[in-house]
Amino acid sequence: MTNSIESLREIEKAGAGAVVLKSVFEEEIYLEYAEEMKKLGPMDNNLEFLDYYDYEIRQGNLLRYIQLISDAKKALSIPVIASINCVSNQEWAFFAQKLEEAGADAIELNMFIRPSDLSQSSRENESVYFDIATRVASKINIPLSLKLSPYFSNLAGMIRDLSFAEISGLVLFNKFYSPDIDVEKETVISADIFSTDSDYTLPLRWIGIMAKRVNCDLAASTGIHDWQTVVRLLLAGASAVQVVSAMYVNGIDVLKDLNQGLSDWMERHNYASIDDFKGKLSIGNDIDPAAYMRVQFMRHFGDHD
Amino acid sequence: MSLDSIYLKQEREAEWRADLRKKTKNKDRMLIQRVSMPELEPEIRVNYQDREVNSGLTRELAMQEAVRCMDCANPTCIEGCPVSINIPKFIKNIERGEIQQAAAVLKETSALPAVCGRVCPQEKQCEAQCFYVQKLNQPAVAIGHLERFAADFERESGVMSVPETAQPNGIKVATVGSGPAALSFAGDMIKKGYDVTVFEALHEIGGVLKYGIPEFRLPNKIVDKELENLQKMGVHFETNFIVGRTATFDDLKEKGFQAFFIGSGAGLPRFMNIPGENYNGILSSNEYLTRVNLMGAQYEETDTPVLHGKRVAVIGGGNTAMDSVRTALRLGAEKAMIVYRRSEEEMPARIEEIKHAKEEGVEFHNLCNPLEYFADENGRVNRMKLNRMELGEPDASGRRRPVPMEGSEFEMDVDLVIVAVGVSPNPLVPSSLKELEVTKWGTIVVDENNMQSSIPEMFAGGDIVRGGATVILAMGDGRRAAEKMDHFLQKKYAVN
Repeated sequence: MTNSIESLREIEKAGAGAVVLKSVFEEEIYLEYAEEMKKLGPMDNNLEFLDYYDYEIRQGNLLRYIQLISDAKKALSIPVIASINCVSNQEWAFFAQKLEEAGADAIELNMFIRPSDLSQSSRENESVYFDIATRVASKINIPLSLKLSPYFSNLAGMIRDLSFAEISGLVLFNKFYSPDIDVEKETVISADIFSTDSDYTLPLRWIGIMAKRVNCDLAASTGIHDWQTVVRLLLAGASAVQVVSAMYVNGIDVLKDLNQGLSDWMERHNYASIDDFKGKLSIGNDIDPAAYMRVQFMRHFGDHD
Repeated sequence: MSLDSIYLKQEREAEWRADLRKKTKNKDRMLIQRVSMPELEPEIRVNYQDREVNSGLTRELAMQEAVRCMDCANPTCIEGCPVSINIPKFIKNIERGEIQQAAAVLKETSALPAVCGRVCPQEKQCEAQCFYVQKLNQPAVAIGHLERFAADFERESGVMSVPETAQPNGIKVATVGSGPAALSFAGDMIKKGYDVTVFEALHEIGGVLKYGIPEFRLPNKIVDKELENLQKMGVHFETNFIVGRTATFDDLKEKGFQAFFIGSGAGLPRFMNIPGENYNGILSSNEYLTRVNLMGAQYEETDTPVLHGKRVAVIGGGNTAMDSVRTALRLGAEKAMIVYRRSEEEMPARIEEIKHAKEEGVEFHNLCNPLEYFADENGRVNRMKLNRMELGEPDASGRRRPVPMEGSEFEMDVDLVIVAVGVSPNPLVPSSLKELEVTKWGTIVVDENNMQSSIPEMFAGGDIVRGGATVILAMGDGRRAAEKMDHFLQKKYAVN
């Protein structure tokens, strides 16, 4: 949806405050390389031609993305945020620099270091995030945000510590393709790629816990399908919400409904601006979040005995 | 184009060949060790750009090696040759001392035997199919060395055989480019009686044979001698002529050209597009080698300069990278290095080239990949950052994929970097013929059976179809295209 200028114009018209372009994926380069190699014909035993061909693909992909940013900047008046997903550490900074040069208003690092990688310890996994964030931040002058997964043993600590790593924002959380199993065919398949309207509870919890404990803005992502969820997340302390699946499922104009719903609610509740209520329900600094969560649990299930 | 098995059988049954087979038993032939090519010592040859590394076989060595060939009833070696040289026939001629005859046999199917004998990767082609390799697990007959010997012998004798040509048929055909594909095509078409013109954009004929392959592997004078033969056969050459600019295809058609062979090659350099690659002192292997090989930049008296470096890094692992790094040594580098992201086993370069490079003192930094370049206050490269690689799962080429080792970055001082990471097809012809179908890589799409493009009268072969491939594959394409263009034109004229 964000690959097309026409769609981006519609998104702006529907009331989006900014757009985050679909990520440039470093992994896609390898996948494309593998696909291209299957179709080579007379070149398929030409090792010297193929040897560094992934660099050609990388350059081609990057140039197309740069063109997209440039075209988007000409077509839109709202901020255009470029998104990157890399595998190797040094590529993040390289792509970020190029995308800044292309005119992106901000960069989102779409980060996911696989926790299923058995060769890495948890500490090693975690340090990669800091290394990358620091490296990229040192190379660009535009705002930088990190989009994270929730898969950390010390999620609160990670969010807090990363917020002090010269970034402007954290986006909670990534939604990943999940595996599923077709029991009739006994094969592994992909689960539904779209979020559901209950998926917001995870970012809601963590934004609520961390909003007053971080040194950057927090944005919510996943499961934002209606205006009520927008309000929930703002009350929890989010500075922005990202909407994706709702647009695919209900069309781009769902943004109008979200904005209208929010606006109507603000009027009913006598709020003149978002700052008047943002974070109103996030956990205060004087309350231990772990204790808060335990108490909540006990109260809830205690009532059900 | 492939040799008919009945023809091969008849040739094999010639009395002289039967006698030769009887003269020495196969078991005795098998006892002879494969010949070693005499080489100029590394410490001498690194001082000369234009002295060949391989000195060539003597007559005695060649005749001895020729005895090893068992003149198989089913010569699988021929199947491995992209231009279908009648290998047993030329080798048996060497065995009986008829070297000129051997050269004539080569020229029946190869327009450039002295070239192929030097630069062909025989170990992957004819020699890989040799009976010794296939059935005995022993070194192949040194077909490449023998081919070079026969071609050189003929040239040095001063008596060069000129293949027969058919009666001129008055039909004009042209090539775009003058590299191995086009020359091979021209050689076959002139034999068939066509009026052939080779159009070349540069001032010298030969394409990659001249600008790409260094003289320590393939002397330019050898290429020129091969070209003389084509001239004697009647091929016309036009240099400084850019088809598509100097004249369009329509202009050439108006001048009577009925069909074209596009052999414009893959001379477009590729870079890695990493930070700092624009600094002075970082250049493509195309540029570096062309300055030296074609323009003589290593000589002070020429007008074309070339950057010299004391600490030279060549990025890449193919034959072009080997050529570049060995050229750098000869131009005075104190340290000439190959930086390649895979291991030595995975390098595309010929094993012989790697061996020669090592003997000459080239340092190999395998499993390393450049990340960024740095420069001094004048903008001249002085340092590069690399990281170490490890080998992961196999990629589409079947080789294990290089994966960066995180945290392994290190730096290296350099003052000249040659980027030899592959080439892309020449975009000139495709850009001047909008209806010509090309792949996303910029290569011309052809029917592999007849080398015909989407434009019926346009045939193509060599690197413009294959990407940067080998001389011999290009020559094979040229031969195939000649055969098919001949059919196309004969049919066209028969209909008309």
